[in-house]
Amino acid sequence: MQAFETREEHDPASGNSMQLIAFLIGEQVYGVEITTVREIRAWNGATPLPNTQEYVRGVINLRGTIVPIFDLRARFGDGVTSPTKNHVVVVMSVGEKWVGILVDAVSDILSVSKSEVHPVPEGDNLDSELLNGIVTHDNKMVGLIDLDAIVAGTKTES
Amino acid sequence: MSELDEFKATYFDECSELLAELEEQFIAIQEGDHDSDRLNAVFRAIHSIKGGAGAFGFDKLVEFAHSFETMLDFVRDGRVEMSEEVISLCIRSNDLVADFVAAARDGVDLAPDFGAEELAAFKMHAGEDDDEPMEDFDIEFTPVMVQVTDESIVSEAKDDEELPDSFDSAPFQESVPETGEHWHIKLIPFSRLYERANDPLLLFRELPSLGDVQIKATLVDVPLLVDFDPFGVYCTWEITLTSDKASEEDIREVFEFVEGDCELLVERRSVPVEADLVGFAEEKDAEQALEPGEPAELLSQIADLAAEDDKGDETPQSSSDEENVVSFADLAAQIEPTPAPVVQSSAPGKETSSPSPAAQSPAPGKKSGSAPAKSTAIQTIRVDLEKVDRVVNMVGELVITQSMLTQQMDDRLRAQYQELVRGVEVLAQTTRGLQDAVMAIRAQPVKSVFSRMPRLVRELNAKTGKKIRLEMVGEHTEIDKTIIEQLSDPLTHMIRNSADHGVEQPEDRVAAGKSEEGVIQLSAEQAGGNIVIAVEDDGAGINRERVLKLAREKGIVTPDQQLSDEQIDELVFAPGFSTASAVSDISGRGVGMDVVISNIKKIGGSVHVRSSPGKGTRMQLRLPLTLAVLDVMLVEVAGVPYVIPLSSIVETLQCRRAEFGQGPSGRQVLQVRGEYVHVIDLATRFEMKTDVEAHERFVVLCEADGNTKVALMVDQIIGQQQVVIKSLEENFQRIDGIAGGTILGDGNVALIVDVQGLKSPTEQKSAA
Repeated sequence: MQAFETREEHDPASGNSMQLIAFLIGEQVYGVEITTVREIRAWNGATPLPNTQEYVRGVINLRGTIVPIFDLRARFGDGVTSPTKNHVVVVMSVGEKWVGILVDAVSDILSVSKSEVHPVPEGDNLDSELLNGIVTHDNKMVGLIDLDAIVAGTKTES
Repeated sequence: MSELDEFKATYFDECSELLAELEEQFIAIQEGDHDSDRLNAVFRAIHSIKGGAGAFGFDKLVEFAHSFETMLDFVRDGRVEMSEEVISLCIRSNDLVADFVAAARDGVDLAPDFGAEELAAFKMHAGEDDDEPMEDFDIEFTPVMVQVTDESIVSEAKDDEELPDSFDSAPFQESVPETGEHWHIKLIPFSRLYERANDPLLLFRELPSLGDVQIKATLVDVPLLVDFDPFGVYCTWEITLTSDKASEEDIREVFEFVEGDCELLVERRSVPVEADLVGFAEEKDAEQALEPGEPAELLSQIADLAAEDDKGDETPQSSSDEENVVSFADLAAQIEPTPAPVVQSSAPGKETSSPSPAAQSPAPGKKSGSAPAKSTAIQTIRVDLEKVDRVVNMVGELVITQSMLTQQMDDRLRAQYQELVRGVEVLAQTTRGLQDAVMAIRAQPVKSVFSRMPRLVRELNAKTGKKIRLEMVGEHTEIDKTIIEQLSDPLTHMIRNSADHGVEQPEDRVAAGKSEEGVIQLSAEQAGGNIVIAVEDDGAGINRERVLKLAREKGIVTPDQQLSDEQIDELVFAPGFSTASAVSDISGRGVGMDVVISNIKKIGGSVHVRSSPGKGTRMQLRLPLTLAVLDVMLVEVAGVPYVIPLSSIVETLQCRRAEFGQGPSGRQVLQVRGEYVHVIDLATRFEMKTDVEAHERFVVLCEADGNTKVALMVDQIIGQQQVVIKSLEENFQRIDGIAGGTILGDGNVALIVDVQGLKSPTEQKSAA
């Protein structure tokens, strides 16, 4: 799975095109830039964190480092995922931090042109808050995840 | 960071080590150990600080360190007695050097007269001769050696120095037209030249570009081994340059970098001068003899030179005094000191760091031996702490993996795969060894933090007018570096507190039948898996009546609360508590002692105070040996593993045996041996649901702040184990009630319960 990491060097990601890892939440396709992805692993449970929002699924041990897992479905306000072994955690780096997001499945690697990225229509609060933009691929809408936004706003209430 | 900044950073690193060493040496000297080794160590340290400062242009530091060094040199020679006064001057000056270094590091300007008093004191002791501005040397300096040229040329040369080169050059060219001009160059370095890291060799290498060069090192000033000062300057050079194009300006340009740091004579000769220069050394030889900082090497090479030099009868010509001229081989053969060579005559111009050899009387061979001895001492490397931490972390992982492997071995497996089992057992042993070794890398003697305290006590003495002596015990006790770094503030506060509130004014002490001088003892010792550091004074002890009254006034203790003596003593650590009726600038702002508690708790330690009225107070820190591994109790709440630091657990009991009751506010309390303890159900606190029957659950009685207890309700107690602490904040954020995470043998993450943090601020207040 780590082979993804090395691909960035061979791809003209720096130019006008970029590569996305696409994943599914239900039927909806979301994507993140491939360069931010560190690892993709099967869901193997997480230790729940007390006093955090419901979309924080807990923490896992990633080779000795503790990495928090965010439930993307819950983050989009669509209810908490009931994960099985078939669910997937995409570990990504956001700035200095490594975080994992829980998704239903990883579907594809997409090559898209940066000029194809459309702004998120205003109005739907959560979407415009959590997405950087939208691209169309194979007639499907792919939401570009804003990782900083996903991670932000997870402060405990107390 | 530029390269220069890196060098500077290294220099300041070294400075802090050197200052710590100085402090240590001075303490020993103060205690009456006037061993010459100590003085030499002091000398070396000051000199190193000065040397680096010179290279970076920290002039004030150089000036101060130089004067300090000069006086120390007089002390070392016995010209100045190591009196109480001198020692206290030294110690004071050491503090000042530290201030100068700090100012240089932070780019802060000190007051122009900073250290002026001490500077004056140095001069008083060491005499004024050293104090001439270095710039004057060029004019005033009298060459050590007499020129061996005939009179006419000497006088010509003198004219030549003062007149423009072009003015005089014509007649000489006429006299020796076919071979070009002959220049006689004489280089007499001052020690400053070496202190600024210049190397004459590099200069000499420039010369061949001007013409034909012959270089000779004059070594007659090299004293007996006995008198050899490693930093002394004994070697001078005479150079004959034959060139048809070089002007005096060209020659002087080569030596431009050392201008002012050496005596440079450049004169023109009418005839080739081979005849009057003795034992011409080739450039190669000069090169070898060029290392005055390395006496042993220099001496051996001088000996070689002397041995090679068969023209012994010619040797003395460049010396002013025939009877002083002895080849080194002869010198070395002699055991009794001979009259010193001529260096002394140059004293007005010389830095006293190269003192007159006659005045020195160290044990034979000691000095010259010091440099090689240093290189055979314990070798160290500087390693980025981050790299060490990475190793520590990985070893932690290894330990966990290894214990996981061991857990997997059931009897069937053991019977079936004996070789594998043996391998795993060896692995377990090696892992343990590796873990110990890695921990030892991080371990450091507490001395590094203890050594800052004498200065603190001196300052406190000066401020309070009290007479306090600091005794240190067990400063070689080793403890994890991270813990040491966290100790400085707590110890500073504790000692300040002892000095300010503990030890009485001298007259009060005398009235109480004690000696005028108060003693604060700072001790460290290993006790089991802990390090115990104690600050103990022989002062008045804690005034419990006043403490309790104040605590009630400040609302720290409710009026109806009855406290034991110990509990009252612990109140000094309560936030916002301060007993000093007048707030001094030393302590009494009510911050400090609670900082002690929070800092120590943060590193997994505990604080206890014990006081007996009239006799003194003992404050004790109990610290873990290392932060990397934490002893914990593994518990389960709603199917999720949690660990509780063993250091905070008082006892555990089954719920069915525990006596619960209702507190005044209707909250559940636990009654343990007459004490009512606030109960926190972790399941409720962490918003989880548990299906375990209430009476099947367990209570873990923990000690929170000081002696405040709290009872944690958990579903299951699984057992004790060691864990490696992992940060949650690294990839996430702080979580209320959780101190961090750790990875269990099965690879899952368990959260570490933050016993202090479980209580919300309001609860904390009411529970205190």
